[in-house]
Amino acid sequence: MAGFLAASAFFPGPGSSPAASARSSKNATGELPENLSVRGIVAKPNPPPAALQVKAHAQALPKVNGTKVNLKTVNPDMEETVPHSAPKTFYNQLPDWSMLLAAITTIFLAAEKQWTLLDWKPKKPDMLVDTFGFGRIIQDGLVFRQNFMIRSYEIGADRTASIETLMNHLQETALNHVRTAGLLGDGFGATPEMSKRNLIWVVSKIQLLVEKYPAWGDMVQVDTWVAAAGKNGMRRDWHVRDYNSGQTILRATSVWVMMHKKTRRLSKMPDEVRAEIGPYFNDRSAITEEQGEKSVKTGDKLDGDATKQFIRKGLTPRWGDLDVNQHVNNVKYIGWILESAPISVLEKHELASMTLDYRKECGRDSMLQSLTTVSGECTSTGTKQQASAIKCDHLLQLESGADIVKAHTEWRPKRSHTAFERASDEIH
Amino acid sequence: MLRCHTLPQCRLLAQPGAGAGVLRRRVAPGGTARWGAAPRVSGVEASSPSRAAVEGGERPSMAERLRLGSLLEDGLSYKESFIVRCYEVGINKTATVETIANLLQEVGCNHAQSVGFSTDGFATTTTMRELGLIWVTNRMHIEIYKYPAWGDVVEIETWCQEDGRIGTRRDWILKDLANGEVIGRATSKWVMMNQNTRRLQRVSDEVRDEVFVHCPKAPRLAFPEENNGSLKKIPIRTDPAEHSRLGLVPRRADLDMNQHVNNVTYIGWVLESIPQDIIDSHELQTITLDYRRECQHDDIVDSLTYIEEGEERCTNGSAFAAPHPEEQRQFLHCLRFAGNGHEINRGRTVWRKLAR
Repeated sequence: MAGFLAASAFFPGPGSSPAASARSSKNATGELPENLSVRGIVAKPNPPPAALQVKAHAQALPKVNGTKVNLKTVNPDMEETVPHSAPKTFYNQLPDWSMLLAAITTIFLAAEKQWTLLDWKPKKPDMLVDTFGFGRIIQDGLVFRQNFMIRSYEIGADRTASIETLMNHLQETALNHVRTAGLLGDGFGATPEMSKRNLIWVVSKIQLLVEKYPAWGDMVQVDTWVAAAGKNGMRRDWHVRDYNSGQTILRATSVWVMMHKKTRRLSKMPDEVRAEIGPYFNDRSAITEEQGEKSVKTGDKLDGDATKQFIRKGLTPRWGDLDVNQHVNNVKYIGWILESAPISVLEKHELASMTLDYRKECGRDSMLQSLTTVSGECTSTGTKQQASAIKCDHLLQLESGADIVKAHTEWRPKRSHTAFERASDEIH
Repeated sequence: MLRCHTLPQCRLLAQPGAGAGVLRRRVAPGGTARWGAAPRVSGVEASSPSRAAVEGGERPSMAERLRLGSLLEDGLSYKESFIVRCYEVGINKTATVETIANLLQEVGCNHAQSVGFSTDGFATTTTMRELGLIWVTNRMHIEIYKYPAWGDVVEIETWCQEDGRIGTRRDWILKDLANGEVIGRATSKWVMMNQNTRRLQRVSDEVRDEVFVHCPKAPRLAFPEENNGSLKKIPIRTDPAEHSRLGLVPRRADLDMNQHVNNVTYIGWVLESIPQDIIDSHELQTITLDYRRECQHDDIVDSLTYIEEGEERCTNGSAFAAPHPEEQRQFLHCLRFAGNGHEINRGRTVWRKLAR
C-alpha cells in the first residue's frame, strides 16, 4: 500500500489519481483486484479482454488527454526513466527521495509483473509477446513499437528484404497498434464507432524513404503513431530501425480517409470517432518537410535522355492477394507497379523512395496493366552517390482504363551488399 | 523433370567442414532449404546458446539468440514457433495455405542451419558440392486440419530422413502452441540431381554418410497411417477440365535468384482455377503437388481443375480428416505451359465445408 500512496503523491491531480482510475478500471473490467492500484496507472498497454476493451479505454482517456502529468510514462518499458518525464510540481510535493524511489521501484516491478502475467487474448503465450509478438505501446502511450525478424521467404533476389516485406510490417504494426490500444472494431483497422456506422479506413497516400534494406535474420524495430490529417483524415507514420544498431531502415508516412463500406463513398469523420482516436494523435513526423520534398523533387534537370516507357499487361489478382473483404491488399500494388520497371533498373539499383497515390480499389476479377516511365539519369545536387540516381513514374490501371495507383519512385545504385560481406565473414 | 533448387552462391560459401570435431556440425539432410524463393544469406548457426558455445568462433547474432527455434534434445528434429501476421491472412480471416507453405520452408531452412549445414543453408554436403549435386523437390503434401488466425502461434517440428536409394524426405508437424493441438502435417520428397546435366543421381554411400547422420534411424513419418493421402498417385486426365484459369504469369516476387518460379507460387496457381463457389464455401484441407518442370519469368501458365469422384476419393480413415465424406470435395489439377502444353506440375486438393 505504501507504493500506492506514494504513487498518488507522485501523480497529483484529481483526474489522474490512481484511485480514480483504479475505480474506473475496476468498474470496466471487474477483474484483477490485487493488481488494481497498478492497473490504474498503467491503464492502456494491457487492454482487458476484448468484450470490455472499449469501456476501459473510454475511462482511461480523460486522464491521458487532460493532464500533463503523464501516466503513460510509468510503463514497463524500461527504456523510459521516470524522472525524465516528471512534471516540475512534483518536486515541491515530494516528502523525501528514498520514499519516492521505493515507490517508483514498486510500481515498476508491479507493472512489469502485471505485464507478463496479463494475457489479454487467452491463447497468447507470454514469452512471445514481447520478442516476436504484438509489440507494445511506449512513450506516453502514443507510439507503438513492434519487432520483426526477417524470414527467409521475405527476401528478394538480392538477399535483402523486399519492399513488400517492409510494407507488410508497416501494415502489421498499424493493426497491432489499433488492437493494443483497444480500438479494434470488427474487421481490420476500423474502430468500434466506425464499425457501428459501417465505415472503414482507406489509404489514400503513402510515402516511404528507405535508407537501408535489412537482410535475412535481421531484426527490425518498427515504431508507429497517428496524427490528424486535415479535418477528416488520419495520418499514420512509421520509423523502422535495425534492432541491433539502431540505424534507420525506413521512414514512412501515410494518409487515410474514411469510407462507407457499402456505398464506397468517402465520409467525414464523425465526432464519436474523433473522440476515440483523437487522444492518440502525436504530432511527430517521420518524414520532415525537407526530406519529403527532396525525395519528390520534380524540378531536377534531366540528363537529356529520352524518357522510356515500359508496360506489363495481364496482371490479375490471385486469391492470396485478397483481404477479408476480397479487395486487393494495398501492399500488393507495389509488386505490380514494379512489374513493369525494367530489369536494368532493378538489378543495379535499390528503391530509395516511393510515393503512392491510391485512386481506386480493385478486386478479384480485375485485369490490370502496369506502366513505368523511366526519367533517365538525374543530375540533381547531392553527393556523388546520387550521380546515377534514377526516377520513375508508375501507373497501375485497369485494362479498361481507370487508374488504380499512381506512383513515383527514386532509385539509387545498390549499396555494397552488407549481406554478402557478412557471408564472407562467416566463412572464416 | 523435377523442380530444381540451386543458387550460384552455394559455391562461394564453403562448407565449414564435415570433418569438424563436434558431432553436431556434421551435415544432416535438410532438403527443404531451397524449397521456396529465398536465397540464403550468411550462415546463421547456433540456434541455441549452448550450441553457440560449442561452435566456438561463430558469433551468433542477436537474431540467432532470439530465434525461437531449436533442435530437440536428441538432435534429430527441430522445432520453431511463428506468429501469424495480419498480411498472411486471407479471405477466411485465417492464414492462407501459402503462408503455411512459407513457414514450412522457413523452418526447414532454419533446421538446416542449426545442424551446422553449409552456410548457404542448403543440405548440400561437401561431397555433393564437389560433384555438382543438389537436392530437388519431387512431391509436396500438406494437410491442414485447423487454420491458424491472425495472432495465433504455430509451433512447427521438422525432421528428415532417407527415402529409398535416391532420395530424402522432410516431414513436418504443425501444432497450435497455445493448446498443443495438431493443426497440420506435411511431408515432402527430395531427390538428388546433377545441377549441370539435370539428371537424377543415386545417393552414394559417401554422401549418405555425410548427409544422413542426423536423422532418425527408425523411420518417423508425419503420415504413419496406411493408405494416407501423401502416397496416392496423381493420375493424368485427358478429358477437358471442368474449370480453368488461363494465362497466369509469374511476377517478379515469384522468382528465386535463378529466375525460376518458387514452389509456393505453384500452390497459388493451382488454387486459381478452383471455382468461386468452392472458395466461398469450403477450405483447403489437403494439397498434394508433384513437381515436373520448372517455370521462368516469361512463361505463361494455364491452371486446370478436374473434379475427382468415385473410388479415388480419399478415405477418411485418419482421425484428422474431415468428419463426413459428403462435406468434402476433391479435385485433380494440372499446371501446364500455355504454349506447348507441357506439364509443369500436377496435383490433388481436398476441400472441406466451412462451418459458417
